[in-house]
Amino acid sequence: MVTLDKLKSGFKGELEVLTEEPKLSIIRIKNKKLIKKVAWQIKEEFDILYALSVVDYTPVFELNYIFSNYRNADSLVLKVNIDEKDFSIDSITDTFNSANWEEREAYDLFGIKFNGHPDLRRILLPEDWPGHPLRKDFKVDDEIRNWTGLDLKF
Amino acid sequence: MVKENSIRLNIGPVHPAMHGVLKLILDVEGDTITKAQTEIGFLHRASEKIAEMRYFSNYYPIMDKLDYVSALNMEILYASVVEKAAGIEIPPRAVYIRTIMAEIQRIMSHLVFIGSFGEDLGNMTGFIWALRERELLMNVVEKISGGRLAPMYICNGGMFYDFPQGIENEILEALSIIEDKVKHEYNAMFTKNQIFLSRTKGIGVLTKDMVKKYGITGPIARASGIRRDLRKVSPYLAYDKVDFNIPVENDGDTYSRFVVRVMEILESIKIIRQCIKDLPAGSSKTAVPWIIRIPKKDTFVKQESSRGEMGIFLVTDGADKPYRLKLRSPTFFAIRALEELLVNIRVADAFVIVASIDPVMGEVDR
Repeated sequence: MVTLDKLKSGFKGELEVLTEEPKLSIIRIKNKKLIKKVAWQIKEEFDILYALSVVDYTPVFELNYIFSNYRNADSLVLKVNIDEKDFSIDSITDTFNSANWEEREAYDLFGIKFNGHPDLRRILLPEDWPGHPLRKDFKVDDEIRNWTGLDLKF
Repeated sequence: MVKENSIRLNIGPVHPAMHGVLKLILDVEGDTITKAQTEIGFLHRASEKIAEMRYFSNYYPIMDKLDYVSALNMEILYASVVEKAAGIEIPPRAVYIRTIMAEIQRIMSHLVFIGSFGEDLGNMTGFIWALRERELLMNVVEKISGGRLAPMYICNGGMFYDFPQGIENEILEALSIIEDKVKHEYNAMFTKNQIFLSRTKGIGVLTKDMVKKYGITGPIARASGIRRDLRKVSPYLAYDKVDFNIPVENDGDTYSRFVVRVMEILESIKIIRQCIKDLPAGSSKTAVPWIIRIPKKDTFVKQESSRGEMGIFLVTDGADKPYRLKLRSPTFFAIRALEELLVNIRVADAFVIVASIDPVMGEVDR
């Protein structure tokens, strides 16, 4: 992949290639502040943010940005770690417009703040929902299971 | 801020013209929409959280309820990602049976689209006709799997049962009826119908740039002139062994999105006929224990479902349950385009555009 070679030479020491296959390459950047610059480089070959998957390895959260394009079947997975000292990362919505709702979903379900996001609100859950349910420390109890959204007592 | 002579119109989440529980908030001046917002999440059932509490084999019923109009596509996708992560090979007969079932489900899903699209235009006859044809395949799926809407047919390593005897002829009979109806009756009802043409042509134009901006895939992208279908681009199952075309339209309006899906029905019929002809004999299942453990790794699989490219990102850590399962749903991206598509059009056309996206909220909200 052309972009991968450029990234390797452009971000020496900061970027690590985990697997390099024609269909799916996985790379990791060590510093989360580089995400915007790397996204800008990736934009040369990949058109859209395909998915954004957050994995909770408490105390570290791993963000998996999956990029794809419309020309071939290539995908690129970009891994970034953020730690519990600061649950925030720069938004890439100005580079990849399709990241908008995916970042809102990550904010909703994991509580990660995306700096510079145009409209960072909850998307799937109600505005007053307590906590972020996909974190590993979120306990699913009977109160959550029987939640109806109505203020009724039976 | 709402202007003085504009009205804020809340449509949904429970409304006969909305597909599922989608909510639209429209600012309307006279009959023209000036601003549109969408609200989703009314069918959120935390499928991704449930995955972390289930064995790998016990998650299939939840996949059924994601995109409940094309449940088999979801099951096949989940089976593929688990089998890829665990390194399970499935026999060639299972590959072909899965291809046949995926395409049967695609035809059924597109028939529901044709029906509900007609219904939103006030064409109730089209709705009844489309569901009548879908019933033929529903009966076939019921005979094969025992279920109708949520079949629960696929399992790790293949499928629960082989095809019953003589089902191939029933499938072929149903297909020849559907092909005849789609080619002849549906033309008279839809594509040669003057009322239908004037309601759909030139409405809700989605350009190539907008498709790339929002990350839309599947039939909607193909209606805007993007020739991309994962079945051709990175063939999975038996798609590299069969011969079929990708229907592409260039206008990007609601009419193109309708025509692309009608053409896809005919292509799916072609695929099923070839698969039944080449259906290999032998075992239809690799024996896999009910509880399996998958070592620590990340697996990503994407497939072409009826609504676009559906993907699963699976993280495992050596346990008998997934550590994290991310579902990438195609309509989640397409719904967002409504905020731009619905501006400066009539309220009556808004429902046509929403119907042409063909959203199934179970898959959007997950």
